[in-house]
Amino acid sequence: MIQIKDLGFSYGGFPVLKNITMNLEEGRIYGLLGENGVGKTTLLTLISGLKKPLTGSIDTDGHNPYEREPSFLSDQYYLSDEVAAVNMKAIDYAVNYGRFWENFDLAKFNEVMQILENDPQKKMTTMSFGQLKKTYIAFALACNTKYLFMDEPTNGLDIPSKAQFRKAVMKYTREDSVILISTHQVRDLENIIDPIIILDRQEVLLNAGIAEISEKLYFDYSNEVNQSALYREMVPGGNIQVSLNQTSEESKVNLEALFNTVYQHKELIKEIFNK
Amino acid sequence: MKTNEIFNFKRFGKYFGSDIRTCRANFGLSLITISLLFPIVIYIISIAFNRILNNEWVGPGADLRLFVFAISMVCIIVTMPVKCYGKITEKQYGSLWLTLPASRLEKFISMVILSCILMPLTGAALSLGIDAVICGLDHTCGSSIAKEGLDWIRNLDETKEVTLNLMYESLEIKDAAVAQNIINQLSSPWLYIDEIFGITLPFLLGAIFFKNGKTVKTFLALFAFSSIMSIAMTPLMVSWAKDILSAFENLTDEALILSFLNNGFFRNLVLIDTISDLLLNGALLAGIWFRIKTLKH
Repeated sequence: MIQIKDLGFSYGGFPVLKNITMNLEEGRIYGLLGENGVGKTTLLTLISGLKKPLTGSIDTDGHNPYEREPSFLSDQYYLSDEVAAVNMKAIDYAVNYGRFWENFDLAKFNEVMQILENDPQKKMTTMSFGQLKKTYIAFALACNTKYLFMDEPTNGLDIPSKAQFRKAVMKYTREDSVILISTHQVRDLENIIDPIIILDRQEVLLNAGIAEISEKLYFDYSNEVNQSALYREMVPGGNIQVSLNQTSEESKVNLEALFNTVYQHKELIKEIFNK
Repeated sequence: MKTNEIFNFKRFGKYFGSDIRTCRANFGLSLITISLLFPIVIYIISIAFNRILNNEWVGPGADLRLFVFAISMVCIIVTMPVKCYGKITEKQYGSLWLTLPASRLEKFISMVILSCILMPLTGAALSLGIDAVICGLDHTCGSSIAKEGLDWIRNLDETKEVTLNLMYESLEIKDAAVAQNIINQLSSPWLYIDEIFGITLPFLLGAIFFKNGKTVKTFLALFAFSSIMSIAMTPLMVSWAKDILSAFENLTDEALILSFLNNGFFRNLVLIDTISDLLLNGALLAGIWFRIKTLKH
């Protein structure tokens, strides 16, 4: 489990994260959402040990990530939003670096590469950005780590690849793993992320599972206008309206509508979900 | 932190092997090009010029080939750290490097061994190898640099004796012990071996310290450092210069020359040089370690 307590970070005096407290539990795929510049990437890099917290602490199974102890690093993988075109074939890259992760599975790497329709024999320097991203996704999944952090993994992927990515994440991750995916493309990950974390400038607005969201908010897809809706958006063929769930009726959570609702009613949402 | 988290031989071996493969991918072609191409190009140019200007087939002499060898070694030392490790300051490469499951110490040791020993040695071996092949195929080039070097080492005692005799003749020094000590100090390998670290480490530090313009900024930093050191050392050098000048003004004054050559500095030249190199290299290594320790993305 990852325990984040009073975490704070700033860039040259400009605060990005302030007093962030939350726990990330095993067996979950967390979706980290937020506007540009709210600190999603910063939070991911802090959790994976690439940055040192200014205040507060992060505890990953008793490890301080910034210490970057090999035993800790071998059980986590951080997939950056910007990926490197290493001067090697994808398969050579996997063989060369995969050996550092105890549970790395080369067969799984090849399988995911196949699912993502990517050629492992191709040199990474000749790959397009999307192909490179797929290579790193395959590598990240093949590492079989307990902690997997992905920053905008679907950026640069074509439409079929996004579906293949969802399939691969569901199929090839450990049951006890903690996966944290930061994204702007909420639709790409709609069916796999649960719980949802929505970050605002310096604070967490929402950290709740889909079931809890569905219990507390109602997503109405009908054409009837609900005057008490917290958020309303016209879509082809009707509306999406989000209102407080007062009848305990179940509804399908729409992440985009949820995101906009949370941003428009920050205090109300915090109050409802922190009860 | 547990010892195993700081250093583990098995993991270091694995990391070192991976580091070699990564360096080969990033710098292998450049290493081969610099090491092999320079001697071949200079051979072709020499042959062409001699053919056109003197109408004769004569390869490049040992001095020119030694100069080209030195140039190629400088090119390797200057470019290798940037090619192999320079990218760790970039987010996409650096985040992978930092989160690779090996300890900081293992990454540091591997980096230093590759930059200061393995790559320069490989470059030197390739360069000397192709020089030997050229000299073996075309005898107009004379002996290869490697052979000349081996001969020089083999005949070191003889060279020392000749130099000693020259000193006796020119300076009329009769105190053999003083002259012998100077020759021994100057011919000690310890005076030169650690210099390779002093040349390679600044470029390794520059490669991982600066985010861009790494080589140029390293040269500028070296220039600034030498300027500061020159200014700081000027008072000391002035007093030394007085002694040296008076010694050379009175070359026949054996007593003065003897006292000059017999002072503490010349008697302990190797020791002083080794200590100063250790301090300088230690500071550079500390800088590299500190940079690795504090690197963030």
